[in-house]
Amino acid sequence: MKGHVGTLAFAALLLALLALAALACGSAGFGWGTNGELFMLRLPRVLAALAAGLALGLGGANQQGVFRNPLADPGLTGVFGGALLGIALLLAGATEFTWNHRWALPAAAFGGALATSAVLVWLGRGRSTTKLLLTGLGLNAFTAAGTLLIAARFPEARDILVNGAAGDWLGTATLELAWLPILGCILAALLLLTQASGLDRLALGEDMAFCLGTDVAQTRRQGVLLTALAAAAAICLVGQVAFIGLLAPHLARALVGPRHRAMLPLAGLLGAGLLLLADTLGRSLWPQTPISAAAMTALLGAPAFVWIASRRHE
Amino acid sequence: MSEVLLASLRLSVDLAGRTVLDGVALTVSAGEVVAVVGANGAGKTTLLRACAGLLPEATGDLTLGGVDPRQTAPEKLVRLRAYAPQHPTSAWDYTLAELGTLASSAAEFRHWQERFGLHELTARKLSELSGGERKLAHLSLTFSALGDAYGKVLLLDEPTTALDLCRAELVGRAIRASAQAGAAVLVCTHDLAWARTCERVLVLSEGRLVSAGPPSTALTAELVRATWGVA
Repeated sequence: MKGHVGTLAFAALLLALLALAALACGSAGFGWGTNGELFMLRLPRVLAALAAGLALGLGGANQQGVFRNPLADPGLTGVFGGALLGIALLLAGATEFTWNHRWALPAAAFGGALATSAVLVWLGRGRSTTKLLLTGLGLNAFTAAGTLLIAARFPEARDILVNGAAGDWLGTATLELAWLPILGCILAALLLLTQASGLDRLALGEDMAFCLGTDVAQTRRQGVLLTALAAAAAICLVGQVAFIGLLAPHLARALVGPRHRAMLPLAGLLGAGLLLLADTLGRSLWPQTPISAAAMTALLGAPAFVWIASRRHE
Repeated sequence: MSEVLLASLRLSVDLAGRTVLDGVALTVSAGEVVAVVGANGAGKTTLLRACAGLLPEATGDLTLGGVDPRQTAPEKLVRLRAYAPQHPTSAWDYTLAELGTLASSAAEFRHWQERFGLHELTARKLSELSGGERKLAHLSLTFSALGDAYGKVLLLDEPTTALDLCRAELVGRAIRASAQAGAAVLVCTHDLAWARTCERVLVLSEGRLVSAGPPSTALTAELVRATWGVA
């Protein structure tokens, strides 16, 4: 860990510079803009992207550790889809209640993410991690279909759900709406950091992890629960976005090695940086026709996914 | 009379509706090395995993270091026994140095790493090691988990598979040293010549214990013929 402190500090410094650059990027070009523009529009958006990216990077690293597979990503294994379906069900069933209670959306997202995670673990029990991932991909498609069905049946929720499915919620972030999910992301991130030792041993297989003193079932349970929390909090800020949870841990592992004590915090920092970069590029490259953060991350992430998959020997 | 550190009575395991282990009784005392032999699928690995506390569904009496490993928390069990699986794996490509940090004592890991001749490979990743070196790296983790061997149980599943003669000899010596330090050692092996050097041998066939005792009486030519179908 000692040798990696410098890398972590450098990543934090780069992230701070990127955040400043993102704050200075506006629709009219580079500059701080008016106070209202800076503090009411850009600051909440930047904070939301940083918090969501942090949670996604750590959530992805955690899920990869729990599933012992570098291709796991809450955005691909249905956890995100479940969170969005939870939101869709709440909006369809209790629209007024949803907007009157700020905690309702994050709670529904957490319920959806947790339910999907439980189904994923139940359907994938006793199977190889590859089959578990395939099960996750199926769940992802199923939850996406469920969300779109609800969007079609409930016109009042259609726009918000379609934008959520496209990962295009960052533009609507206000401090009033975002503070609770931001706190959720930070809480999930801090708790995920405590999983390092269990995840390290789990890498050696369940038998060895158990024999080295790790409570495997508890590590898995906590991993699933905390990933669901991270995904739920992040989705309330961004909408559905894949690949951050895949790319950030992979890059972190390449930079500081696979030990989770150094890899987890770096994956969080890289996740925050990647999402913020994707969002800033998406809204700055063509200001008249902005691209969602999810579309930008997919443009970067899909080729990386194919590359990682082609390198994996299984 | 040495203290019995591992004992089972009527130990049975059903996996997917099939009886894999059927009423096995055994004892292993401090200072003793006991070999478990048998044809493929005889239940050797299942017996070892049950003894390690990895199969809570196992039925019958089982005592390891005075406790039932099926009912004992892993953080307590780790102080009573060490286990090496037949096919150690790692999801991530750790270097040998990183692998050592997963051990309960990094100093102990370094000791075993040196003892197994891996000291010059510290910076190498697991994927850059040969199959035998990888096996020894994981065995270093197991032996370091044993720590002070006195009063502990060492469970090894085919520890010399993939090792050349010289390295198999190193592992054999490490096993013997652990027993001399007061550990009770149970080893699954296909190496009948090595099994004959142990204090006692247990012969499994289709999940049942068909013979047990000193090698000269438990591992007769007749039994070898009947169990493995070879002369």
